Amino acid sequence: MYSSVVRLQNTFGFFTTVAFVVAAIIAASDLLAPRTPSVGLLKTTNLQVVRGRPHYYSSKKEEYAIIKFSLDADLSSLFTWNTKQLFVYVTAEWPSVGGSGSGQNATNQAVIWDSIITSPSADHLANLGPIAMKKLKRSAAGKSIDPNRGKLSLKNQRPKYQISHPSGKVAEQEDVVLRLHYNVQPWVGILTWNQDADFWKWTTLRNNLSKKFKLPAIKKKVEKKAGASS
Amino acid sequence: MLSSLQNPRQAAAQLMNFGLILSTAFMMWKGLSVISDSPSPIVVVLSGSMEPAFQRGDLLLLWNRNLVSETNVGEIVVYNVKGKDIPIVHRVVRKFGLGPDAKLLTKGDNNAADDTELYARGQDYLARQDIVGSVVGYIPFVGYVTIMLSEHPWMKTAMLGIMGLVVVLQRE
Repeated sequence: MYSSVVRLQNTFGFFTTVAFVVAAIIAASDLLAPRTPSVGLLKTTNLQVVRGRPHYYSSKKEEYAIIKFSLDADLSSLFTWNTKQLFVYVTAEWPSVGGSGSGQNATNQAVIWDSIITSPSADHLANLGPIAMKKLKRSAAGKSIDPNRGKLSLKNQRPKYQISHPSGKVAEQEDVVLRLHYNVQPWVGILTWNQDADFWKWTTLRNNLSKKFKLPAIKKKVEKKAGASS
Repeated sequence: MLSSLQNPRQAAAQLMNFGLILSTAFMMWKGLSVISDSPSPIVVVLSGSMEPAFQRGDLLLLWNRNLVSETNVGEIVVYNVKGKDIPIVHRVVRKFGLGPDAKLLTKGDNNAADDTELYARGQDYLARQDIVGSVVGYIPFVGYVTIMLSEHPWMKTAMLGIMGLVVVLQRE
């Protein structure tokens, strides 16, 4: 019968159906937007290996690689109306230590630098202080898609993460490369990473590898002069 | 009034109907579980450690098969830690080795430090088997109901009461 409960149920059911269909259409619209990311330059500028401890209370000493790099990339085509944020990251990759046939530690991958680039529609969600937030919002005021977002130009960038290896050794490691990756976070739909091959309107990220390089030997720790002793 | 109580045949039919809805939902959940090879193919985000990508209450679809490639650095994974019952959604930032023995390190995009502190005592890395699935799909906000229900237990009671009343009072 047509009781008010049934009407309420029908209304809610119709609402959820419409909401999901609209969400599916928005998610599918990602495929129609061409993606043509490009990398102009990715190279290391300064390499250093130091000895250190994983945390303050640890007695274990490990080797840490500090890889400075320069990067020029244009990822602005990844921003569409359904893009919430772009996660850009650079990994260092190197083959197995000693190259033993056991297959263990055959490939090593570690993020040395990453960055979250929010779409103007998601600026209010960014984890920033009030001044930086105001600046970020002003940089794209009134725009739903900002063509400047996703244009990266880093010169002699310090790594955010100093990388080590479970064996504790990274010094004089050969055949290390840097690789640029991205991850597009949608407002609704499928998460996408840089794909290995061209896919319809999405071109693969070319030239996103640096030249192979060798990490240097350990740098002797320069004793800092004790400044203000407490 | 309370027609279902006076008519046992109708009451039985209603009970069957209710059971059918429950079992359909359960079968769909388990079916998804089999397809994605994950014990929990849909999860609700409970913390803000992956903001701004994921907020509390967002729904994530997981995939736990390595058909094309292994679980790699950059993927967002849901993992369990021994001795802790709440699964964590974070991004893989380091991977040493290949296959099931690979050592994985995770970090929340919004956290300053990596997850070593969150792991079990003496555990420095995750193994592939700790991972429940990688995030492949995202639906915002839909899961917020479950957070409301778990944080305000009276809502659960109220909801169950209303549902019970509807079942009993519904004529057809």
